[in-house]
Amino acid sequence: MRVEILSVAEKEVRQTLRDPRSLVVLVVAPLLQLIVLGFAVNLDVEHVETVVADADRTAASRAFVRGLLAGDTFAHVGDVTDPEDAIDRLAVGEASVAVVVPRGFARALDSGRTARVQVISDGSDAQRTTVAQNALGAYGALFAAQRVRALGPLPRGYPEVRPRVLYNPTLNSRVYFVPGVAATLILVVTLIVTAMGLAREKEAGTLEQILVTPLSPSALVAGKTLPYAVIGLFDLGLVVVFGALLFDVPIRGSLLLLFTAGALYLLTTLGLGLLLATVARTQQQAFMGAFFVILPMVLLSGFMSPIANMPEALQPWTLLDPVRHFVEVLRGVLLKGAGWRDLAPQLIALAGMGLSIFVLSARALSRKLA
Amino acid sequence: MNALEALDLRRAFGGNQAVDGLSLRVPAGELYGLVGPDGAGKTTTLRMLAGLLEPDGGEVLVNGRPFGTDAGPARAVLGYMPQQYSLYGDLSVDENLTFFGRLFGLSRAERTERMDRLLHITRLTRFRDRRAEALSGGMYKTLALACALLHQPEVLLLDEPSNGVDPVSRRELWDLLHDFVAGGMAVLLCTPYMDEASLCHRVGLLHHGRLLAEGAPADLVARFRHPTLRLFVDDRDAAESDLAADDAILAVSPEGAALRVVVRRDAQDPLARFGGRVEPVAADFEDVFLGLVRDPTSVAAEG
Repeated sequence: MRVEILSVAEKEVRQTLRDPRSLVVLVVAPLLQLIVLGFAVNLDVEHVETVVADADRTAASRAFVRGLLAGDTFAHVGDVTDPEDAIDRLAVGEASVAVVVPRGFARALDSGRTARVQVISDGSDAQRTTVAQNALGAYGALFAAQRVRALGPLPRGYPEVRPRVLYNPTLNSRVYFVPGVAATLILVVTLIVTAMGLAREKEAGTLEQILVTPLSPSALVAGKTLPYAVIGLFDLGLVVVFGALLFDVPIRGSLLLLFTAGALYLLTTLGLGLLLATVARTQQQAFMGAFFVILPMVLLSGFMSPIANMPEALQPWTLLDPVRHFVEVLRGVLLKGAGWRDLAPQLIALAGMGLSIFVLSARALSRKLA
Repeated sequence: MNALEALDLRRAFGGNQAVDGLSLRVPAGELYGLVGPDGAGKTTTLRMLAGLLEPDGGEVLVNGRPFGTDAGPARAVLGYMPQQYSLYGDLSVDENLTFFGRLFGLSRAERTERMDRLLHITRLTRFRDRRAEALSGGMYKTLALACALLHQPEVLLLDEPSNGVDPVSRRELWDLLHDFVAGGMAVLLCTPYMDEASLCHRVGLLHHGRLLAEGAPADLVARFRHPTLRLFVDDRDAAESDLAADDAILAVSPEGAALRVVVRRDAQDPLARFGGRVEPVAADFEDVFLGLVRDPTSVAAEG
């Protein structure tokens, strides 16, 4: 039994090494994608192009605008005199936010009335606009607080909110995203390679020749996936190392835990690839099928948008998504230093899904090819 | 005991009954040919015999053992060479043989010894390091045969082995097969070529998934009950389409300038109306097959 598994694995490795293209797909492509996606996927809202229409032209209005533009959040891209011009700038995309300080801003402040500032924003990028508006609101509160403080001591019972962020104090979105990218890359590479590999044997007629030998279906499945499991773990290591070097993703927890979870995760991705190949007749069908499976798995994983934001009816289904569990393990181990006990539910889920998918695909294979 | 035995095999694909109650037996040391046109059900039968396709009904016994839940013992004595490509094109001759040898659980020593011998008799020794995809059609087939023979099967199944092989390699292939059969192997092959039937010990004529007749090729021809005639007429094509519609004519095909005609034995001289010269000829295997397709009683009972 063991000899036969190794024979199949060795043949698989031989074929892979003989075809340099498959090596590129297996090792180089994931790394390049990690780098490209890691740099591209950046949800930090910075440098929001801001156009200013200061109709008041007083020391107070200038101080307000200067303070607003001081941080990294807003980038000054120009001044206009007419607020209508500011809207034109938004329309052509030169600016995302227009800050309009009306005439009488300073007078209103001095006379103790409410000084109004108008903010017009481009809502087509909802995420960016939301963050910009929050920053503007916070700045307004800060500006007001400074004025209050200038008048004397704070009144008693005044609440003060002080946020303190754990695990990713700078809220660097890459630190949050790179683990998701890693899980996705391993999914794509291993699922497609196994699905296409078995479909190729079908297409080439070699599967028939294998099936007339005494080789058991489970030995065939094990032998065909073993090399890709090793490559998948190698890819995982690669992604963790490059994530740390390039994107400052910390490694706070146990690598043994990470790779154990990785091996269980690979059981699910390789098993799904095999399952696809038992249904598909050609490599092309296997490839199309892989995309059909991968996209919902990635979207439901919570890698890009939080699961809590999904429709409630959909949320329980994400528990069936191995990508979700592995992303949780990656974030837990890398960012929070979570241990075996913390991640036990995810490990059990991955092991359960992996084993059932594997058994299922071996069964599907052993039913004779019609 | 028969080395290979099929009992009332049935298999349908959708509404199409590909194999319809087929039984056959091949003892050790016999070369059995399953002969029939494309679509007769040859490959379906062979894949059921090889345990690759579950029959809807009936049973296959290899050395008396069914495939069943533990197919191991049956597979260990069975060799199968499919019609289409079935080897790894990107692996060399040696690597292909090594791989399949290991799957059959051969030790390194057994593998080396048998590979050397098989490569020698198939004259592939010079091409050991060549990739399978770079072999000619004939060499590829002999390599596929070598892969199927590595574990020294007692029963060998071949699906159209001479398909895509040049005439010289074809003869060599048949010589090899006769050697193996002489060594006690039971070989079942299928072929659409009627001329290959005469090279088998026994043949089964397959049509629409049923055996029309079975027996030694020469014997089947001898037992053929309908006369085969050659008809010389001026307008050969007109006569051919005329005869094709005639119920008394079992088969008609052009042969040189004349027509070869199988006439129903009780017909009243149906060729007289053409006025051409008619001469009797010896029936051949194809005449027997065509006659059987139209009239299942074309071959007289044995004895």
